[in-house]
Amino acid sequence: MKRKGVNYAKYGYIFCIPFVLAFLVFSLYPTIYTAIIGFTDLKGLGKTDFQFLDNPFGNFELILNNPSFQKSLSNTFIIWILNFIPQILLALILTAWFTNNRRKIKGQGVFKVMFYMPNIITAATIAILFNSFFGYPMGPVNSLLQSLGIIDEPSNFLVQGWTAKGIVAFIQFWMWYGYTMIVLISGVLGMNPELFEASDIDGANGFQTFFFVTLPNLRTILIYTLITSLIGGLQMFDIPRLFLLGGPDNATLTTSVFIYNQAFSGSYMYNRASAASLLMFFIIAVLSGFVFYIMRDKHAAKLEKEIRIQQREFKKALKENKKMGRDV
Amino acid sequence: MKRFTALLLVCVLLMSMTFMGCGASETETASTETETETSTETETEEEVAPELNTETPVAEVTNDPDVKVINIWSFTDEVPKMIEKYKELHPDFPYEIKTTIIATTDGAYQPALDQALAGGGADAPDIFCAEAAFVLKYTKGDASQYAASYKDLGIDVDTLLVESEIAPYTVEIGTNPDGNLVGLGYQATGGAYIYRRSIAKDVWGTDDPAVIKDKIGPGWDKFYAAAAELKEKGYGIVSGDGDIWHAIENSSDKGWIEDGKLVIDPKREEFLDLSMKLKENGYHNDTRDWQDAWFADMKDAGAQKIFGFFGPAWLINYVMAGNSGGEQPGEGTYGDWAVCESPVGFFWGGTWVIANKDTKIKAAVGDIIEWITLDSSETGLQYYWANGTLYGEGGTKDTVASGTVMKKSDGTLSFLGGQDMFDVFVPAGESASGKNQTQYDETINTYFRDQVREYTAGNKSREDAIAAFKQNVADNLDVIVE
Amino acid sequence: MDKTNSLPRRAYKFMIYIVCGFLVLLSIAPFWIMFINATRNTFEIQQSAIAFFPSDSLFDNLKILVGKSFNPIKGFTNSMIISGGVTICTVYFSSLTAYALVVYNWRFRQPFFTFIMVIMMIPAQVTSIGFYQFMYSIHMTNNFLPLILPAIAAPTTVFFMRQYLLATLSIDIVNSARIDGAGEFHIFNRIILPIMKPAIATQAIFAFVGSWNNLFMPLILLTDSDKYTMPIMVSLLRGDIYKTEFGTIYLGLSLTVLPLFIVYFMLSKYIIAGVALGGVKE
Repeated sequence: MKRKGVNYAKYGYIFCIPFVLAFLVFSLYPTIYTAIIGFTDLKGLGKTDFQFLDNPFGNFELILNNPSFQKSLSNTFIIWILNFIPQILLALILTAWFTNNRRKIKGQGVFKVMFYMPNIITAATIAILFNSFFGYPMGPVNSLLQSLGIIDEPSNFLVQGWTAKGIVAFIQFWMWYGYTMIVLISGVLGMNPELFEASDIDGANGFQTFFFVTLPNLRTILIYTLITSLIGGLQMFDIPRLFLLGGPDNATLTTSVFIYNQAFSGSYMYNRASAASLLMFFIIAVLSGFVFYIMRDKHAAKLEKEIRIQQREFKKALKENKKMGRDV
Repeated sequence: MKRFTALLLVCVLLMSMTFMGCGASETETASTETETETSTETETEEEVAPELNTETPVAEVTNDPDVKVINIWSFTDEVPKMIEKYKELHPDFPYEIKTTIIATTDGAYQPALDQALAGGGADAPDIFCAEAAFVLKYTKGDASQYAASYKDLGIDVDTLLVESEIAPYTVEIGTNPDGNLVGLGYQATGGAYIYRRSIAKDVWGTDDPAVIKDKIGPGWDKFYAAAAELKEKGYGIVSGDGDIWHAIENSSDKGWIEDGKLVIDPKREEFLDLSMKLKENGYHNDTRDWQDAWFADMKDAGAQKIFGFFGPAWLINYVMAGNSGGEQPGEGTYGDWAVCESPVGFFWGGTWVIANKDTKIKAAVGDIIEWITLDSSETGLQYYWANGTLYGEGGTKDTVASGTVMKKSDGTLSFLGGQDMFDVFVPAGESASGKNQTQYDETINTYFRDQVREYTAGNKSREDAIAAFKQNVADNLDVIVE
Repeated sequence: MDKTNSLPRRAYKFMIYIVCGFLVLLSIAPFWIMFINATRNTFEIQQSAIAFFPSDSLFDNLKILVGKSFNPIKGFTNSMIISGGVTICTVYFSSLTAYALVVYNWRFRQPFFTFIMVIMMIPAQVTSIGFYQFMYSIHMTNNFLPLILPAIAAPTTVFFMRQYLLATLSIDIVNSARIDGAGEFHIFNRIILPIMKPAIATQAIFAFVGSWNNLFMPLILLTDSDKYTMPIMVSLLRGDIYKTEFGTIYLGLSLTVLPLFIVYFMLSKYIIAGVALGGVKE
């Protein structure tokens, strides 16, 4: 078997060629260009000539000492955590409900399809609608709260920093929980159904099945969810920018909006923007490495063993299936 | 993990190595570019003059016979449609019109235009449009090297400016640092105060613009005195602080930036206090411009009735008329409005038309631009535009840049109870100033108004708000803040 | 087992329906408001952007839409070419790359995976400057290719496919196919792709939606009106600050989202039912 693997190795390279080519042609130059200008004095519209700074990390020092950047960094983390934790919890609960074989939820197909829909609408539209929802002095939320007697006077929600952060986090949560759920469900659907049948036969209830069968087998997909939402969350851009332009008082300024402002809000400081991008890149890389580390080391050995056992069982099942298939 | 970090390091090394070579070649090409640029500039431009340069002669211009297409870049279909009209009126106009319209949404218009201007070639724009929010970049700022002087297009600027009485602020904005005119608008967006007749009668016993203008101005002191009087009868004087902001912004003596430093003009700083005064005394409904509640105040749907709005003619035609809750006098607030002079002069918005200095068909481009911006005859664009007859009778009337055209046009509107709005808007255009504009205004205004809102909402002290404003400017723009 | 419908069990189920019903409402609301706004005129929308009952301006909005050189057929075709191309490139080549990462044991497998992860983490705002400058300098504007081909290298999708394959693929399927004498490409196309259907459907939806709604890059790279996509056409309805036809914009947005619905509902059967291990069923 092993020797065969070596023989096939060349296909590993061949199958990756399209990816590598596309990357080299379209992304390599822009990426390198961005990385370079972080060390230069390139700013101003339409300029392409630049010189390296005497202090190569000058831009990085400027950015790290920039109060707006510091604030944007903490905002980004706060908003990400506020949206990610409820998002992953809800997605997991929904996945548990919808993949439970015994408690057939009627119309679950419709639910699954509907929950992803907020992701189809453009961020610009959503930003406008939410702006109207929280309108002041008149707006649906204000009238609702007033008629319920929760507040006496209309409240100007969008000048309250934490409220604004909360709304941005909610929009992110609402736009993406369906996505996360679909990803998780597709992971569950890809699992061998016999795993569930086995746990059924063992008399496990819904919770047990979910925690001891579904979740461990979902590990690789969970890593994907964690990593991508970490990256996506730390690069959050559309909603914070379109909803309140990073305001009020920079309360919803995320690092991506900060970077965008450095480059495009008037001074075209491409060098500082790319230095900030590089910094974000390193932060994301370190955190992603951390996630991989946690997710891997704790269970890896144990899981590998389990997987091996499962695969053996699976092989057996497969053979039987094949036999049966041929019989039929 | 180790592999991971190792690869990261490799990546960084690789990038840094490539960027040495790459950076060098970049600088080379760039330096040749700048050389050619400076050489062409010295040919055409003269000494730096602070005011409009009247000594440069009007150039003799021709068209390159090989060029068959004229490229127009704009962010709406307004100017492209005008040029189609021009072709219709001049059947011998030999060029095929190719329009590129890119919306300003997501800030996409400017990068695309910048690339097209820098790229040159057959697809480069011959004529392009710029909005008030970013026109300075193309006339005075970072991209002004692409703009052709109107004189180089064969337009007799000095004579025509006088003949058609163009509002001075449009000329100021359209003049490049060398004192040459490179851009003009067709609209005049000088602002006035647009108020409710019925409320004026209730409070002062008359709705005559000549009387009301002395009640609310000149100057903010009188305006606030009027606000107090209105408040006694239960009216607000404006809908939100955004209404007075446009007036304050454009009436200040200095712009945000001078010699690369942030300047807070006392008149603009006063906005903090004026806005607070509005809020504390309940002189407004505390709405935000362009949001639902602001529009609602145009038809009395807010908490208290609002006396008036600040704005140019387009605000009346395109915003207020539709939001008045009616289509003819008697319905909603329609017909219950009048205009009078604003307590301070200002302008708001507008589109400037600029030619690419590399265009090969200077004569044709010059003819079109002259027709749009400087032709004050009854077959010039502005006459059609002012009277709403560009696409046939009964269109929307608007104020235009040429005072000459305004004088022979009729600005009577039933929305204003039959008042001729041009009587007010023509002097308004003359008192507006374009000297206090910079290319950073959009961004800096956003920061300033954000902090003013913090102050009036009670989240911050006045000092903290100013400090935070300065910090935001320093953090995000290449501007010295002291 | 316990098939008795005990009270707590029923209450629990009832709660599930309540939660799901509420979430469905939250999902439908923006679309409902959008469609309703398509029937209202600018001024009704300015007075209040949120309404739940239709008005009577649908045909007026349609008239303005057509008058504004909004060409839904052309926009639809262009958008379809780009988004279809992007979707196919993304899912096919990402599956291929992921397959290479999972099944074959080659020397640079782990470094290459790390490399993919690294490019996934590059922030996009600034690299986009380099990208469009590059495309302008090699005169690739008004061409669909720079919008489609980069999708071949879609790191996020590769990552997903890899994780999916790690969790679901048994190497035995591949091995038994090899024993049957199938070539590697054949195995991938005929055996692996069908197994990956749920994953492919999921990623195809994401890729299609993302590409369909993408505005910034097409807006900068496509300046010829014959090449405009639907979102570009909608963005052109905006006009000046003082002359925005909001009803028309919502109508444009509604028209833009309809094809998305169709594609989404077509692919969603894989999300609903799932195709469990097609390889096994064979």
